[in-house]
Amino acid sequence: MNASAPLAAPAIATEHLTRRFGDLIAVQDVNLRVAPGQFFGFLGPNGAGKSTTIKMLTGLLAPSSGRMQILGIDLTQDSVEVKRQIGVVPEGMALFGRLTGSEYLNFVGRMYGLDRATAAKRTAELLDFMQLVDQPKALVTDYSHGMQKKLALAAAVIHGPKILFLDEPFEGVDAIASNTLKSMLQNMIARGATIFLTSHVLEIVERLCSHVAIIHRGQLVAQGSLEELRAGVEAQAAAALNAAGAPHEIGASAPGEKLTLEQIFLRIVGGTRRADQELSWLG
Amino acid sequence: MAGLTFSPEIRGQFSAIARVRWQLFINSMRTIRGRMEIVARGFTFLAFGMGGIVGSIGIGFAAWYFIYSGKVDWLPVLLWPVFLFWQLVPVMASAFTENVDSSNLLRFPLSFPSYFLIRIAYGSLDPSTVMGSLWLLGMTVGIAFASPVLFLSAAPVLLLFAVFNILLARMLFTWAERWLARRKSREILGVLFLFMVIGFQFIGPLVRHYGNRSHQPAVSRVFAEGLPIERLLPPGLAGQTIAHSLRREYASALGSFALLCGYALVVLWLLNLRLRAQYRGENLSEALARTAAPADRQQIRLGWSIPGVPGPVSAVLEKEIHYLSRSGPTLFTLVMPVVVLLIFRLSPGKSDGAGGLLGHAADLAFPLGAAYTLLILTNLVYNSFGADAAGVQFYFVSPVRFREILLGKNLTHSLVLAVEMVLVWVGASLMYRPPPWEILLATVTGVFFALVVNLTAGNLFSVYTPKKIDLGALGRQRASQVTALVSLGIQAAVLGLCALAILLARAFHHIWLAAIIFVALAAVAIVIYFLVLKRIDAIALQRREAMIAELCRA
Repeated sequence: MNASAPLAAPAIATEHLTRRFGDLIAVQDVNLRVAPGQFFGFLGPNGAGKSTTIKMLTGLLAPSSGRMQILGIDLTQDSVEVKRQIGVVPEGMALFGRLTGSEYLNFVGRMYGLDRATAAKRTAELLDFMQLVDQPKALVTDYSHGMQKKLALAAAVIHGPKILFLDEPFEGVDAIASNTLKSMLQNMIARGATIFLTSHVLEIVERLCSHVAIIHRGQLVAQGSLEELRAGVEAQAAAALNAAGAPHEIGASAPGEKLTLEQIFLRIVGGTRRADQELSWLG
Repeated sequence: MAGLTFSPEIRGQFSAIARVRWQLFINSMRTIRGRMEIVARGFTFLAFGMGGIVGSIGIGFAAWYFIYSGKVDWLPVLLWPVFLFWQLVPVMASAFTENVDSSNLLRFPLSFPSYFLIRIAYGSLDPSTVMGSLWLLGMTVGIAFASPVLFLSAAPVLLLFAVFNILLARMLFTWAERWLARRKSREILGVLFLFMVIGFQFIGPLVRHYGNRSHQPAVSRVFAEGLPIERLLPPGLAGQTIAHSLRREYASALGSFALLCGYALVVLWLLNLRLRAQYRGENLSEALARTAAPADRQQIRLGWSIPGVPGPVSAVLEKEIHYLSRSGPTLFTLVMPVVVLLIFRLSPGKSDGAGGLLGHAADLAFPLGAAYTLLILTNLVYNSFGADAAGVQFYFVSPVRFREILLGKNLTHSLVLAVEMVLVWVGASLMYRPPPWEILLATVTGVFFALVVNLTAGNLFSVYTPKKIDLGALGRQRASQVTALVSLGIQAAVLGLCALAILLARAFHHIWLAAIIFVALAAVAIVIYFLVLKRIDAIALQRREAMIAELCRA
């Protein structure tokens, strides 16, 4: 299940991507392939290496070794050209707190090379779309977390990127805003963009993403379409059930039922850890 | 003493805060940069400590002499400078003053008295507090040597005076923070300040007018008339209490002491007002002072267009100007050069009181103001990304080269310096007289040379030792200690070169020669500036992880 069919011109491709922090290997030998137009979910437990990978792919972190290509362009060779083609919502959202939302989007648009009129027009449209027009004079630092997330997403798409990298885009976003974001992302996919997102909300990933990769302890342990992943896990489960005395594992579905992404995830990363100890002092 | 004991819970909270600060200090030594910071901090602390110790010896000796020679009434002469230093330095050099973000403390079940004490304790290692305390300690020791009996009454008075100073400094700082946080109060302060500067035009004629009425020199006359008022102010009261005690006028001593206590209580109450507001979760946001405009009034606003300047560079310039214009503390710092000229103008100088400290060298007012302007710009220039905080990530993901980003920031800083120079020129011309053209030329070219050197070094330090700062809060603009020390060294070197050029020009009796030397030096500096700018992309990429880690930290 690790190797999906190689694609001719991948939107994102990595070869033996590795990142070390001293003795710690955060990401090891990751070979990713994301085809153009895919809605790609990049999953993993906390500390697995998701953010490190997305940071390397967006130029926020240098890899220790390995290669990265975005739309066929080597990121280390021509990073400026790559950055023109991508939009990013990084972990820290990259906002400038002492600007208003409108000033921030205008600024971002112009940094991406938009002319003044286009930047201003798109700023107004995005603020309206994201329902951020109510407080035109509020500084970004005074926005709620959800509003900041929406603004960060608006900034990431203002230049019409071909690839969008999103690190936990739905974290702290209310249901209404979440729906707005989802419909926007799906529209982008419909128009041919590629989206690479990390999220802990597996239900959202399952609903949005056509393809998924799972990273665990720095290594890519699964990659493919949801069906491919499901088929792989079910095959393993069937093999395990056939073996005499095999226990019913965590994340297994009832016979005949389709495995959810959460179940697939737990099976792959080995979600056997439980809250065995009771915290008796909790109320 | 029962009232001074703390409950086990409060003691636990204090020790937890002390422990976590100690742990943070230990953890900061894990990186080379952290160790360099501590070494630099050690140097700074040593410098201030030395100033405190040397000053305390001098003040102690002076206090001993005053008591020993029966001039006890002269004690306020020592107490006033201590008082002024203690109160003016934290506001004038807010970059050296620590102002913690209290919001982190407020999520814990901290009682208001605990919060109050913690806020006071956080500022206890500020240079002004350390030096002021050492000076008063020296004074106490001097008095004790001169009259061991007087020590018993002088010690509590000076202790109260120290407490008063600590409270007053914190009170002024917190209120200044409150006023500078809002645009409206900032504008009112600005207008008042403008009136004050203009008002000083009338001092000279007034002093001359009253001075001519009698044979007494004006300063002595003002001093004599002001003495009764001076005695009612805290430094005068502290001196009077000690003097009354020495003369065994215990009722008067008690009265002065009570009045000093009254001052301390009023200050305590005013500080209490501010800290209580903070304790209740006050948000000094710029946006809250504004009303939300209806959505239909939302207009498409075009960004700035500066002829000849590429779009991204002018976008950075526009963003930087927005940042500066919304930072009350920065605007406040930027008016400081004119304030310094004002202080010089006010200080006693020539006997007719018309010129202040620069009475004999009014032509130096402009160069001095310009040099001070350069000094206060250091915090901005040497830590260009400090205020961007997490926004720095955007620079790394955007398709704009770092050289363009820094060019935009450098343009902003140059623009600010130019405006400042004009303000200083206007201030110097109003308060003294317009500088002669050759001094004007030498100063402008000298500042230009110094600016290019500072921008070059500043760009490197902004990338190598960035430090997250908060432009919205007074006292949270402190750059890294390493940067502060090195920038001081660079300023000293630049100043030395400028002094050398001026000496050379004076030797030839043509000050304008200095301008030619400065232009030549600036030409060399410009070449180096562009060489550094050319390399800055590679350096920034190499330093990106450290930059992001420092600037994105919570």
